[in-house]
Amino acid sequence: MTESLRGKGVIAGIAIGKVLLVGQSLDGYLADYKVESEASELAKVEAALKAVAEILQDNVKKLQERNMPEQSAIMEAHRMMAQDPMMAQSMHDKVKELGSAPRAVLAAADESAAMFESMDDAYFRERAVDIRDVGKRIAKYILGVKEPALGDAAVVLCGHEIEPSVIANIPTDKIAGVLLGQGSTTCHAVIIAKARAIPTVAGLGDKLASIQDGDLVILDGETGEIFIDPTEDILSTYRIKIQKQLERKAYYAQLAPLPAETTDGVRVELMANIGTHLDVDAAMTYGCEGVGLFRSEFVFMGREEIPTEEDQFKAYKEAVEKCKGKLCVIRTMDIGGDKPLAYLNIPKEDNPFLGWRAIRISLMRQDLFVPQIKAILRAGVYGKAAIMLPMVINVAEIKQVKEIIEQAKVQLAHEEKPYSDNVQVGIMVETPAAAIMTPVLAKHVDFFSIGTNDLVQYTLAVDRVNHNVSYLYDHFNPAVLSLVQRTIQAARDNGIWAGMCGEMASDPYAAVLLMAMGIHELSMSAPSIPRVKEKIRSISSTKAKEILETVLQLEDGGEIKEYLYNHL
Amino acid sequence: MEQTVKVTNKSGIHARPASVFVQTAAKFKSKVTVTAKGKTVDAKSILMIMSMGLVKDTEIVIKAEGEDASAAVKALVDLVQAKFGEE
Repeated sequence: MTESLRGKGVIAGIAIGKVLLVGQSLDGYLADYKVESEASELAKVEAALKAVAEILQDNVKKLQERNMPEQSAIMEAHRMMAQDPMMAQSMHDKVKELGSAPRAVLAAADESAAMFESMDDAYFRERAVDIRDVGKRIAKYILGVKEPALGDAAVVLCGHEIEPSVIANIPTDKIAGVLLGQGSTTCHAVIIAKARAIPTVAGLGDKLASIQDGDLVILDGETGEIFIDPTEDILSTYRIKIQKQLERKAYYAQLAPLPAETTDGVRVELMANIGTHLDVDAAMTYGCEGVGLFRSEFVFMGREEIPTEEDQFKAYKEAVEKCKGKLCVIRTMDIGGDKPLAYLNIPKEDNPFLGWRAIRISLMRQDLFVPQIKAILRAGVYGKAAIMLPMVINVAEIKQVKEIIEQAKVQLAHEEKPYSDNVQVGIMVETPAAAIMTPVLAKHVDFFSIGTNDLVQYTLAVDRVNHNVSYLYDHFNPAVLSLVQRTIQAARDNGIWAGMCGEMASDPYAAVLLMAMGIHELSMSAPSIPRVKEKIRSISSTKAKEILETVLQLEDGGEIKEYLYNHL
Repeated sequence: MEQTVKVTNKSGIHARPASVFVQTAAKFKSKVTVTAKGKTVDAKSILMIMSMGLVKDTEIVIKAEGEDASAAVKALVDLVQAKFGEE
């Protein structure tokens, strides 16, 4: 009988495989364990600590050789914990108290983990999982528990929490998918799965109990759906989906190295929107030609204090390096009252989208802005970086930022930190004011990038998440198209480049119009790149211009859409 | 051999600085301790160091006993004063 469950899809893709329960209970082993003399138990702890530290050291080396820096850093932290004198001392004390070496090891790890769990800082709280993982590993060594046996077929790993050590130690081709009880998407197991593109569903909670070792399961990492013991019908449906997934992947892989070029040779650069420096590698596999929008918010969120210049520099440097000489556009902090940060102290606002946000905060809070600018200028040394300012409405803001950039350079020179003098400075065109003033703004910047999500919202006065008015939200609305065209024209007239990084850029129909308007670059979430590229490669620029001319005569967004769907 | 030093990097002796601190301490044969807020811990223990919550502006006493005590204290004081290469 097929049972279906639903969790939170965190890493897209479909997987079929037999379940391997991990994070297994040691209770049975502990009950069977024969305790020897205290001296002998103490010696066992000592030997296990040494052996596990060596195994971890070996893991670190292997992961470094395979160029997996995130995973090797996690294993290095585990090694330090296994060799920690406080941990060793507390294990010794526990042997004296409990007698059994493996129980002592687990109790000592639990105690340290509990101490970390009570800390205020989220980073430290999450380290508790790592400490318990190390403890369990040492206990398993003493108990002689083998790591889960792997056959030839890839398995679906399943557990409430999967210890990073377990997942890091299994070769990628042996893991079909991952099912997690806990719901955090920042835990180490998820980070490792993401780096390896393993389909993952998390947040299953108690539902996990209905999954047994060896069950055949299907999981869809996009929708979060899971089928246990699927019928032959469901299986064949999903096998077809996997087949299609593979075919699409192969087709996209073929497309990846090809340019987004019309049949008569007009090129548009397709770049990726990313949220963290870790996304660049995956984006490259879709054939992006650089990063058109690096949302720097992630360095500001999920923490209780202002990120340092050094923290930011590391993240930006990595992203810039991974772009391998292609442009990496870093947008400065774009946060406002809708997603407040404790250390920003944004007062409650009636209208956060018309309030103190983005560049308006940056210009007032230079303690936040200057380190960010310095970090980007320094990252520029490692490739081709650009600074992009969000929410600009006038020339004064640009001039102020340029002054701050000059001051930042003086500071960097004084601190003897190398920085790049060739970092482009551009703005997001996402307010009607900026779009209307582009002929003036173009004289002060190196590029424009049209942010359609906000531009549509502000131009049409529509909140897209308000379901009573969301039907009005439309990037084909002639008012929006007119502002977009004006922006591209202003860039061309002034010899700078114009791009787009809003959702409109990932709409293949819109992409054809934008290309006809003369846009230089389109930036989108990486998985959208192949579809847009396919569309652009299928048409000539002459045909696209004809279509654009007709579209500009039409009076309504609905008509425009209908015309495009019928003629493209 | 001991010396008092003030933590001046913004994030304090947090994750990365703690591991650099402990790795440096572990290079020396001497027994090395850190005292702050009335608590003394082993400087070679990442768990102990992290559990101290050494934020910016905390005064800490680094103490070493053994053949390379003065070199150990100097290396660790230098590290703290250089802000662990951070801000």
